[in-house]
Amino acid sequence: MRKIKRRKLLRIYKKILTAICIIFVCIVAVFPFFWMALISVKTKIQTYDPSIWFVKPNFNNYRNIIQVRHVFYYVKNSFIVVSLTTVLSLALGSMAAYGFARFEFKRKENLAFWILSLRMLPPMATVIPYFVMARITGLLDTHIVLIISYMLFNIPFTIWMMRGFFEEIPKEIEEAAFVEGCSRLQVFTKILLPLVSSGFIATAIFCIIQSWNEFVFALFLTGVNARTLPTTVTLFLSVTGVVWGEMSAIGVITALPVMIFAMLVQKYMIRGLTFGAVKQ
Amino acid sequence: MIIIKKDVFKRRSWFGRNPHLVCILPSVIIMGLLVIIPTVFLYYLSLTNYELGSNWSNVKMVGFANFKRLFSGRDPEFWNSIKLSVVFMVIATSLELVLGFFVAFLLNREFKFKNIVFACLIVPIAMTPSIAGQIWKLMYNAEFGVINYILKIIFNLKISWLSPEFAFTSIIITDIWQWTPFMTLIIYAGLRSIPLDPYESAQVDGGNAIQVFRYITLPLLKPLLLVAIIFRAIDSLRLFDVPFVLTQGGPGSATELLSLHVYRLGFAQTGWIGRASACAIVLLVLTILFSQILIRYMRKGDEEN
Repeated sequence: MRKIKRRKLLRIYKKILTAICIIFVCIVAVFPFFWMALISVKTKIQTYDPSIWFVKPNFNNYRNIIQVRHVFYYVKNSFIVVSLTTVLSLALGSMAAYGFARFEFKRKENLAFWILSLRMLPPMATVIPYFVMARITGLLDTHIVLIISYMLFNIPFTIWMMRGFFEEIPKEIEEAAFVEGCSRLQVFTKILLPLVSSGFIATAIFCIIQSWNEFVFALFLTGVNARTLPTTVTLFLSVTGVVWGEMSAIGVITALPVMIFAMLVQKYMIRGLTFGAVKQ
Repeated sequence: MIIIKKDVFKRRSWFGRNPHLVCILPSVIIMGLLVIIPTVFLYYLSLTNYELGSNWSNVKMVGFANFKRLFSGRDPEFWNSIKLSVVFMVIATSLELVLGFFVAFLLNREFKFKNIVFACLIVPIAMTPSIAGQIWKLMYNAEFGVINYILKIIFNLKISWLSPEFAFTSIIITDIWQWTPFMTLIIYAGLRSIPLDPYESAQVDGGNAIQVFRYITLPLLKPLLLVAIIFRAIDSLRLFDVPFVLTQGGPGSATELLSLHVYRLGFAQTGWIGRASACAIVLLVLTILFSQILIRYMRKGDEEN
């Protein structure tokens, strides 16, 4: 009798311990973001005191970054670059993905894996020739050069993600449409794209997140005119203390949209992070 | 008449015979242009003495001098950065793997609010890395940072996180925070897809928890784990943004990973693009090596299916 009771008690302890561990993991994961949001609504003096965890929100920092630091200028740049590169990569990439999914041809896998390997190029190595070439052609510090260089990793990503989604659709559906007299283009736009729409949207969101977060190309290829949000941290690298609040406010504005987007594609997270190599 | 014309057209059209080319050619051509020209240019730069701002008429071919300099041992900072990169890769990847296993096992049961837990885990992955680096820099601050504040309350400790002794540990901690959820998600997906039968037969045979893990869970997860590990290995070699924001390779060269060494040679202060290119090629080759391992592994998996 006593033994059973002890076993029960042990099980309850175990449960509580697991719960505590899980809660701890969640807190650690979210804490930096929470801390950033907290600092962004603190007053200047409060930022120096880490013992203050609850404050009456003060939106001075947000007013400052909008009025003095013109944060919406960077938002606009980020928005232009991200939207154009996403649209272009999706259009080109999903077409190629369809080609890889539906046709058999010589050296198909070699070509596909060559494209995949391009996604893994170290940005710090590719940015050097891009930088020098952009300088020669006068494209440095324009939106175009960023859009081009972001296609470098978005097109391979799109091809590999969309190929997986296309391959999941049975060939018979397409063949039935051909029998009905549809052209290949019609089949692609009217039948296949609606069928893969959730995968297509997920791919688009991943492209948006990656381009929005990209740092290396944005840092070296832009200066004043095309500077995007992530590189605004360099504005604060040398100065300390005084502007922590403003820096955190920009951080919140930068990180919040991607966070929301990421929650939307939670289901495809692993697939997206491994370019479709691991399917859930 | 018309019908015949159509037929002739169809027979002659190259695209008619190769419908896949219509789909894949645009992307392949663009990727080729975006990759091959810059890569060739990078190799060319690595053979010159080009410096930022110098005139093209002054640029001279120096042959393999830049590479000789790297490998002859005249450049101890290069070897230091290689060492740091490799140590960083090994430590960060293995700690993330172990912690990822731990968290995945924690989550591998039924409980309420599971969705919220997963949402929390996605926060570090999705957060803009440069912004995350900046916030960690604030939290690491020795005087006003929240980490020291908490350490002081619990252990009465004060660590200057960004000092030469601890800066390297700091970037590893930040990387672990950022990428352990990635490992967790993959391992969790793997655990969920394992069939129950081997566990049942192990229970009948009376294996203990460690034996079950060693002889059943681990072998079944091996393919997934390898993919995850190589992904992390490649990413940690390429890493630039977080250490750049956190420490800029300093203090001194305590956290100067390979990418940051390229940055310092080519862009910060000196502007020796030629030498930086040679260093970047070493980085490129290392990354390609790892990605070839990954690709070979993925292809083998494909053929088995």
